[in-house]
Amino acid sequence: MTTTTTPPTTTPTTTPLGRTLALARVNALLMTRNRLTLFYGVVLPLAPLLFLLSAPRGDEAAGAQAATTVVLFALIFPVYYNVLSLVVTRRDELVLKRLRTGETRDSEQLLAIALPGCAVALVVSVLAVAVGAALGQPLPVNPLLHVVGVLAACGLFATLAVWTAAWTRNAEAAQLTSMPVILLAALGSMRSAPFPDAVARLVDLTPGAAVDMLVRLTWYGEHPDGGTTGLAGTWAAALPPLAVLVAWAGLALWLARRSLRWEPRA
Amino acid sequence: MTDTATPAIRVSGLRRSYGAGAEAFEAVRGVDLTVETGTVTALLGTNGAGKTSTLEVIEGLARPDAGSVRVLGLDPVADRDGVRRRTGVLLQHSGFSGDLTVLETVRLWTGLVSGARPAEDALDLLDLAGRAGVRVSSLSGGERRRLDLACTLLGTPEVVLLDEPTTGLDPESRRDVWRLVRGLRDRGATVLLTTHYLDEAEALADRLEILHEGRIVRSGTTAEIVAGHPSTVSFRTPAGSLPAFGPRLDVVRVVEERGRTTIETEELQPLLTQLLGWADRHGVRLDGLSASTPSLESVFLAIADDRTEALR
Repeated sequence: MTTTTTPPTTTPTTTPLGRTLALARVNALLMTRNRLTLFYGVVLPLAPLLFLLSAPRGDEAAGAQAATTVVLFALIFPVYYNVLSLVVTRRDELVLKRLRTGETRDSEQLLAIALPGCAVALVVSVLAVAVGAALGQPLPVNPLLHVVGVLAACGLFATLAVWTAAWTRNAEAAQLTSMPVILLAALGSMRSAPFPDAVARLVDLTPGAAVDMLVRLTWYGEHPDGGTTGLAGTWAAALPPLAVLVAWAGLALWLARRSLRWEPRA
Repeated sequence: MTDTATPAIRVSGLRRSYGAGAEAFEAVRGVDLTVETGTVTALLGTNGAGKTSTLEVIEGLARPDAGSVRVLGLDPVADRDGVRRRTGVLLQHSGFSGDLTVLETVRLWTGLVSGARPAEDALDLLDLAGRAGVRVSSLSGGERRRLDLACTLLGTPEVVLLDEPTTGLDPESRRDVWRLVRGLRDRGATVLLTTHYLDEAEALADRLEILHEGRIVRSGTTAEIVAGHPSTVSFRTPAGSLPAFGPRLDVVRVVEERGRTTIETEELQPLLTQLLGWADRHGVRLDGLSASTPSLESVFLAIADDRTEALR
């Protein structure tokens, strides 16, 4: 195949990483420009840190509950709700379509939308450790696994957001269409509630429950099956909840790929 | 490294439908289109003719339901990266985040386009330097369009696809865009643009393609397209009974409508001579007399009104 003209060989070409970071940087900037996104993207996830204050100094049960809430808030607002509303808004503004005409790939656009919120979630969950420590809570048993768990959950909630965006008509509608996933996350965090056995087993398979288990395990050494474990025991114990997150992410990815739209409905 | 045998854009048998089942609508119904390297082609058509639907497939935003598209000899979907680095696209509607400034927007795009010129140069090119610090949400429609064009032309695209580049622009900005398009051709780029402004198509394009109901119904230069279409002479129909008008040389048809007589003819000059001689001899006054050779407009309107067969 011959081509008509060859661009000068000196032309620097863009790279996927460069494009993704350029977009992510602007998305982060835009998050701070809009009062609403600034509120639920940055302020709201910081708020549950106050729960740590309410736990009596050194009360690990209350501390674990607060830590779980902090991480879930960080997943629901800066990641899930933020990504959902950004995808919907950018789609309606035709920003996504405009960017698709260029070299930027679809996956780069979506990653760049998710990155700032995921960074907030990560910072908040690390900040929670510092605030917790200052208030007499223990340091995480397995800090590395704590971070891995948060990152896996970020991936899941960002993917769920893209899927939700596929059937969300506009930014206002997102307030309603986000409810199923938010309720699903909230349900899982109520693992300690006295559910019948059969229900409890199902609840354990929700994303919220997986996050709850991972936070309690990696931070407080609470084994999902009861009792406590040291650092060595956390790796194996983390596998089931991580598998739950990966399975949900796979499902969300499959659904999102089938239904995602890049421009508003005509 | 110039191979003139490979056209910059080649579309053959392109079909594209929306929806499915009983609600399916075929917007593009077998379009063949060749755009030679270094030329400007205008895709003309009324709203809904299929211009944007065709362009979106060439841009690689949509897959064809049938037929094939090659841009620079490459498949815009399968060879995505190779094509995108060498093309510049302007969509019919601009898509920008209103909360970014003009300069921030162009800076972002310089990170997304291979071989992009500095953002400041791009703003100068489209006369936006004075608006660099303004949020996009505060721009006028014309300024936003120019910003969009600045992003389209940020690299040095070999093929430029412009969907209604001047819609919504004031006359002065329109001329600026025309200058830019001519500049693109002068440096050897290939341009395919859609428009529903006939003067724009005539002023810019080396070749016109008229799209109607998903098919290309006329192609060529303006002269080629209007060839074979009749000239018209018209005047206010004189009152009272008139003496017979001699041998009607090459008259295609005569229409009398709302007090106006329109004569269509293949031979404008002889008909005018006859008509004026007849009026002179009989002392008939032809008020509002006008004569015109076939224009792109008359042909286009005939196509839009589905009167093409009558005109042929």
